[in-house]
Order: sequence, then C-alpha cells, then structure tokens
Amino acid sequence: MSATALSLADVHKTVHVGFRRRPLEILKGVDLSVEEGEVFGLLGPNGAGKTTSVKVALGLMRPTSGAVTLAAGSLERVGYLPENPYFYDYLSGREFLGFCAQLFPMAPDERYRRVEGLLRDVGLSNAADTHLRKYSKGMLQRIGIAQALVNDPDLVLLDEPMTGLDPVGRVEVKRIIETLHDRGKTVLFNSHILSDVHELCRHIAIMRDGRVAWRGEVKEALAEAPSLEDFFMKVVTA
Amino acid sequence: MRQVAAIAVNTFKETIRDRVLAVIVVFALIMIVGGLWLGSISLGQQGRMMTDFGLVAVTFFGLIVAVFIAASLVHKEVEKRTVYILFSKPVSRAGFITGKFLGLCATTAVVLAGMGMFLFLLVWVVSGAPSGMILIAVVMIYAQLLAVMAVTIFFSTLGSAILSSVLGICVFIAGQLSHNVLSLSRIGHSILAEALAWVVYVIIPNFSAVDIKAGVVGESTLALGEIALWTAYLLAYVVVVLALATLVFRRKEF
Repeated sequence: MSATALSLADVHKTVHVGFRRRPLEILKGVDLSVEEGEVFGLLGPNGAGKTTSVKVALGLMRPTSGAVTLAAGSLERVGYLPENPYFYDYLSGREFLGFCAQLFPMAPDERYRRVEGLLRDVGLSNAADTHLRKYSKGMLQRIGIAQALVNDPDLVLLDEPMTGLDPVGRVEVKRIIETLHDRGKTVLFNSHILSDVHELCRHIAIMRDGRVAWRGEVKEALAEAPSLEDFFMKVVTA
Repeated sequence: MRQVAAIAVNTFKETIRDRVLAVIVVFALIMIVGGLWLGSISLGQQGRMMTDFGLVAVTFFGLIVAVFIAASLVHKEVEKRTVYILFSKPVSRAGFITGKFLGLCATTAVVLAGMGMFLFLLVWVVSGAPSGMILIAVVMIYAQLLAVMAVTIFFSTLGSAILSSVLGICVFIAGQLSHNVLSLSRIGHSILAEALAWVVYVIIPNFSAVDIKAGVVGESTLALGEIALWTAYLLAYVVVVLALATLVFRRKEF
C-alpha cells in the first residue's frame, strides 16, 4: 500500500461574510486522502468546496477545525496552479519563472536549467522574452503550470488546469500530467471536464455542499453508472 | 534572505516599469525647471529660489511616488491574486512585506536620485557654484519618505489602497506639523489638547527635525549630529512599523 501524500481529516472552514459578519460554513468536515504517486481527481459542482479544500491544504486558508497533513512536510516540495491564474504583467515568461525559482533553495545554474527546461516542456521557448500581458489564455495557463513545477515538486495541486484551453492546449496539459505521473509525482487536480478526469485519474472524490460525498476508483464509479458523467450527476443530486 | 531579495527585485521591476512613474518624473523635472522662471523674477535670489522651489518639487513628487506605490503594492497582490502564487511557495509573510518595502525603497531612491541630481546640476549651471547641501537635503527627504512608505504599507494591510494613500499623506503632513502643534498646545493650557498633541508627536515622527531645506538655502544652521540621530530614529521607526504590518498581514487568509 502506498503512503499518503496529502490528507485532510474532518476539516471544517467557516468564513464570515457581509457587513454583519454572518458565518458561512464552506467546508463541513472534509475527509480526503491522496496516495503518493497517483493522479487524483477532485470533482464537484461550483461552490462545493474544492478550491477551498486545496487552499486549506496549502495554508492559504486556515481550517476552523480538523487536520491537514502534507507528506512533503513543507511547501518546498509542493507545486500549485490556482484557478484562473493572474501573473505579473510586466515580467516576461522567463523572468517570471526565474523569480518563482528564486523563492526556492536552488543553485543559479540549476535554476537556469529548470527555467529553460520548463519553458521548453510547456512549449513557450519562443515566447520566453515576451511580457506576460501579451500572452493568450492558453499561454498563461501553460506558464502557470510551469511555475507550479519550478521546484520539481513531489505533490502538484492543479485547480482547473484545463479551463480556457483549446483542444491542443488540453492535450498538452494532459501530456504534462501523464509525464508527472510517469515520474512518480502525486497530482491532485480539480476539474469540471469529466472526460479528462476519466482519462487521467484512478481515484476520484466528488464533493457536494462542503463534504466529500463519494470517493473511490473511477472503475467503481463506472460499475454503478454508464458513464462518469451519469455517476457524477447521481452523486451531486442525491 | 534569498526570497526577500527576489521579492524586492521583482517589486523594483514592477514599479520602475510602470508608465505612470515616468509621467510623474517628467512632471517633477518640468516643475524643477519652472524654478528658473521663479528665480528670474526674484531680485538677486535666483539660486536660492531655484533651490527652495526645486526641493519642494522633489519632496512633493517623491511623496506622490512613495505613497501611491506603497498603498497599491500589497493591495494589488491580494486583489490580483498573485499572492496565491507566492504563498503556495515557502515564502513567509515577513519576507513578503520586507521584500515589497525594499523594492519600493530602491525605486524611490532611483526617482529621488534622478530628481536630486537634476536639481543639483541645474543650480550649478545657473548659479555657477555646486551646492552639495542639495544632495544632503534630498537624502533627508528620502529618510522621511522611508517612514511614510512603511506607514502606508501598514495601512494597506488593513484597508483599501485609496484610504492607505490618504492616510500616508496625512502622516507626512502631521509629521511636518507635530512639533509646532505640540509647542502651541503647551501655550493653550489645555491638558487634553497637550496630551493629544503629545500622543500625535510620539506616534508620528517629527519630520520637521530632518527637514533641512531651510539650512540649504541659508536660513538656519545645520546640526549634522542631530540629523544623524533623527535618521537613526526614522530607521528604527520603519522597522517597528513593518513589524506591525507583518503581524496584521499574518492574520490574513486568501
């Protein structure tokens, strides 16, 4: 049995909204564990708590209660691509990756190799010196993935990595995720595109209303419904 | 330290490449040159008028640059969600605030150095004699702006960019007046007014103590030892205010 790369145990998160600071419980006891070396799909309708769960895992938000465990120990071995990422307009792709790499303990020559290698891997070598404000949506998504991999992380969290990508971009991102899997990395990604999840993941979890409503293997889900889409609808409307 | 340096360099690139900054600097240079005209209508005081007016221009435009950039730096990172990229990496909140501040210090230094050198050369050409005191005065303006930038960054961790800018400017003005207000309150015999003025005097640095414009144009003598002491005080003030900003920012979630 594989070790756990990431686990959330009974995680609750309440935020206070509006002028009267009305409490709003976003996570209502999330239990989730991702095994090392697997590609894990986190599914759910909008507002189910997927992004919040990832933010809590990364420490961008503090859980109201519950426990978060990262096998990597610290963020030095973790990579993250936020949903609809925004980067620094005034930097070129190469400068941006160089800046991200400088945030990790890395020798200058290794930093140079990683930045150039990632630019090549995500197909942005030709646009490396172009300012990010001139990048298309797909190019921004690719530079976003590159920055998530700049530290050669063991655990990669990708929030809607296929959003806004054309079919070619989607194939490229899927290829990157498959390569990460082949290299033994753990990948957790949120997505609304169930065909991609079906193609890439062995285990999935479906969130609904701040909880994990179902988790298991994709083949188990397909044993209960004709397609992953049908199974997803069954879980979220139950 | 490595991360602080990376964030500082990134902040410097962000701010120095901003076209608005270039526009402000051009306006400042035009205003400094405008001192030539003021000098021409003053009888025999051309150099003094130019120096006085030029230093006011350097202070005013330096303040605009320092406050408006300081107010938007942290706020923009949160608003545009680039903090997700930073804080999903092993970057501490203290490192972030310090890096942002140091990057802004570098930008403000470049802007003030440019304006100061321009004024220095202009006065030299017009009056025929170099005045090194202009450069010392610009350094003192920079010391004041460091404190204003730190305070503005602190406010930006609490509220909006506009509010932080307004409060930053208020602190600068209050710092110029606090010593006089304290003296006046002592004349009024009101314990409450005196206590209030004393609180403002303690919380906000006394910028008038390091404002050496009058000394540069020969209206007063300069006590360099005292200026050095005040500069050290301003730097200590910056450290305390940035520590407070870090404490507030640590509580934030994204």
